[in-house]
Amino acid sequence: MAVRPFLSARGVRKSFGAVEVLHGVDLDAAPGSVLALLGENGAGKSTLVRIIAGDLRADSGEIALDGVPHDVRDVAAARALGIKLIYQEISDAPPLSVAENIVLGAWPARRGFVRGRETRVRAREVLDALGVDLPLDAPVSSLRLGERQLVEIARALTGQARCLIFDEPTAALSDAETERLFEVIEGLKARGVAILYITHRLDEVFRIAEEVCVLRDGHIVLHEKVADAGKDQVIEAMVGRSVERRARGREEAAPGADRPPAVRLDGASSGELFRDVALDARPGEIVALYGKVGSGASEVAEAIFGMHAVDAGALHVGGRRVRFRHPADAIAAGVGCLPGDRQREAMFRSRSVAENLAAPSWRAIAGASGLVTRGREAVAYRRWHDRLRIRSRDDPEQPIWTLSGGNQQKVVLGRWLERGSKVMVLVEPTRGVDVGARQEIYRAVRSLAEQGSAVVVATSDYEDVVELADRAIVMVRGRTVAEFAGDAIGVEALTGAAGGVIDE
Amino acid sequence: MSETLTQRATPARDASARPRGRRRAPETIGLLVFLVAEIVFFSVQSPYFLNWDNWGNIMTAVAITGVLAAAGTLLLVAGQFDLSVGSGVAFVGIVLVQTAPSLGIVPAMALAVLAGLGIGLLNGFLVTVVGVNALITTLGMLGIFRGLTLVIGKGQSIFIEGFDWATARPFLGIPMPAIVLVAVIAVFFVLMHFTVYGRKMYAIGANPVAARLVGIRVNRVIFTGFLLSGACMALAGLLVTSQLGSSSANTGVGLELAVVTAVILGGTSLSGGTGTIFGTVVGLLIVGVLSNGLTLLNVDSSWQQVATGVLLILAVAVDRLRQAYLRKAG
Repeated sequence: MAVRPFLSARGVRKSFGAVEVLHGVDLDAAPGSVLALLGENGAGKSTLVRIIAGDLRADSGEIALDGVPHDVRDVAAARALGIKLIYQEISDAPPLSVAENIVLGAWPARRGFVRGRETRVRAREVLDALGVDLPLDAPVSSLRLGERQLVEIARALTGQARCLIFDEPTAALSDAETERLFEVIEGLKARGVAILYITHRLDEVFRIAEEVCVLRDGHIVLHEKVADAGKDQVIEAMVGRSVERRARGREEAAPGADRPPAVRLDGASSGELFRDVALDARPGEIVALYGKVGSGASEVAEAIFGMHAVDAGALHVGGRRVRFRHPADAIAAGVGCLPGDRQREAMFRSRSVAENLAAPSWRAIAGASGLVTRGREAVAYRRWHDRLRIRSRDDPEQPIWTLSGGNQQKVVLGRWLERGSKVMVLVEPTRGVDVGARQEIYRAVRSLAEQGSAVVVATSDYEDVVELADRAIVMVRGRTVAEFAGDAIGVEALTGAAGGVIDE
Repeated sequence: MSETLTQRATPARDASARPRGRRRAPETIGLLVFLVAEIVFFSVQSPYFLNWDNWGNIMTAVAITGVLAAAGTLLLVAGQFDLSVGSGVAFVGIVLVQTAPSLGIVPAMALAVLAGLGIGLLNGFLVTVVGVNALITTLGMLGIFRGLTLVIGKGQSIFIEGFDWATARPFLGIPMPAIVLVAVIAVFFVLMHFTVYGRKMYAIGANPVAARLVGIRVNRVIFTGFLLSGACMALAGLLVTSQLGSSSANTGVGLELAVVTAVILGGTSLSGGTGTIFGTVVGLLIVGVLSNGLTLLNVDSSWQQVATGVLLILAVAVDRLRQAYLRKAG
């Protein structure tokens, strides 16, 4: 390499419990250059950069700056060395002003009193250096997301900043905001900052990075100058193993292919979330919405469940045009939903598995008597316990939080089986579940379709799509960019389309 | 059709032979032990304690708090508070005693009940429609209705004639307030543990986001909860006015704290989602027995307040430690 690296990591290993997620990784970041870090979910990207930024400790390995080994004990130690990680989630203090947020944690103070004027002067300096103009006295809560991210970057630039790490910074940004971020990164490069840039998007790599590094299953599998790397080469490195397609081929059409769609979207839009989306799913069919976080795929699925209003175009369920104002309307129309954030959106942690499963069906369980008893809930629970292979004590009263993630997911799925939903909306169904449970969830979703439900799966995991979908719709930034059916659904086609690269 | 989802579940199990695993002890077991210890202690210390009439006294003493605590448990299970109950009771009482002479008892009672429901309606409206936090809403209402009671009653104690039903002992010498309390507890017990509405309240308290996503119209359900709390205020207001034969601006001062004490002592989590009416009854009796017993032992009432305060903190502290232990074990 022509330029001597500023930061070099050697032989970094890290295990969580018994599982080693980084198997001795080497990485170099040169000043004034962008190193793009790619890899699928769980490849170890975030773990690696958190170790570099002092947020996690490596089990073994060495991190050297300018050739001198350092013990990056914690975040404060890393910051003192000029290494700063800008997280994907914004972590600002919304009610405070832009200026106060920029100096947050490093207030210019005299004898314990913060000096207001000095605060503004310093904030102004940093923003000028970034080449952006933001209202210093406005509360950050009044800014747009992209602007808040700039404030985060500005904060990272106060004091010494020699290596900046971005973790998927554009995931939630608009095109214009992304452009502005790229300009800022070009400026940082010119100032000699070493940049590590985690992304899922190939087009960004070729746009701003000098080098590209692909991580897979805790190993570096590709490290190449961007100029020398081909897109195909990068995709192949990321995907590695071939993911077999186990879903139905085109010939074995879904049983309900001749029936009218159970759910249909016609040019549907919802605010800023998605625009002009068309989709239909027949009984027995599994349709996937594939897209990265922020692509709008989840939001389209959620709109079918009444979580977002469809404000242009139309939503039809069961052949009838509907306007859902509340998920209760969707449930009444026969739609069920496995939400993306199970802990926050689906689970009643402190309540029993039976109660969790019975929740949408209480009215039916109560029947004419109007009474819901634990016994009746237990009957409903037992109906699905074995069929879904829920692994638990044989006790309907067991609190749901005592089950593993995959089994919790099965209870939530059972909730809609009991309810008899004709349209199932699944958002990120395999997020945070282990490999074994993943297969069981696939099996359960397929059975759901075979029983005549129309299934819509929104996911950012191509494996879900390849395993399940009869048809797949790829979304980028709130719009549909590609559609595949049957055997045309492949990993390369999907990731290519979602990365904004559509093969001719 | 899928063979996995449609196949018959394994041959019908004999429910009684099914392994129950470790049956969890009821959440309130610790408190129940404490209550029994209290009873044993006082029955040893005072010969009057186990007397039938004395139990009538205890029940009468906790009746007002108990009626309100039933609704308080329902609300707290959904993560909601009603601090306006003390003032509400006073307002109901003053409406009753002010209007009874001119309207007659029954119309005045109807008006008083409407007053209680009105307060519940206002609370519910502010919390669910306007979106003001329940603690703040009902704290504001506590001040407003205490003040309005003072304005209407001009700070006087006003007597009421022919309204002494609550002093009756219709059978077995059981005082009327005790009967009312048992009836209210029974109604709330069924409501909370055997109806769809009760299940919804638990779901909302356990996770309001998930509750919405299983089709629960969260605001409507909570609104009804505040309305029920208003109904209990009305009932408690009628009860206390009849017991005293009068009402004044000082009626029910501090009741909201007694209610919260009983509910929390009974094991309902401050963050909602767990808690039972049975627990609240135990919490209620722990406080009632304590103050009754200490009175029998001639302990000054100021010290009784100290004891109640210590008890509350102790109970919640123990609960915290227990939960931390459970989390670690899980």
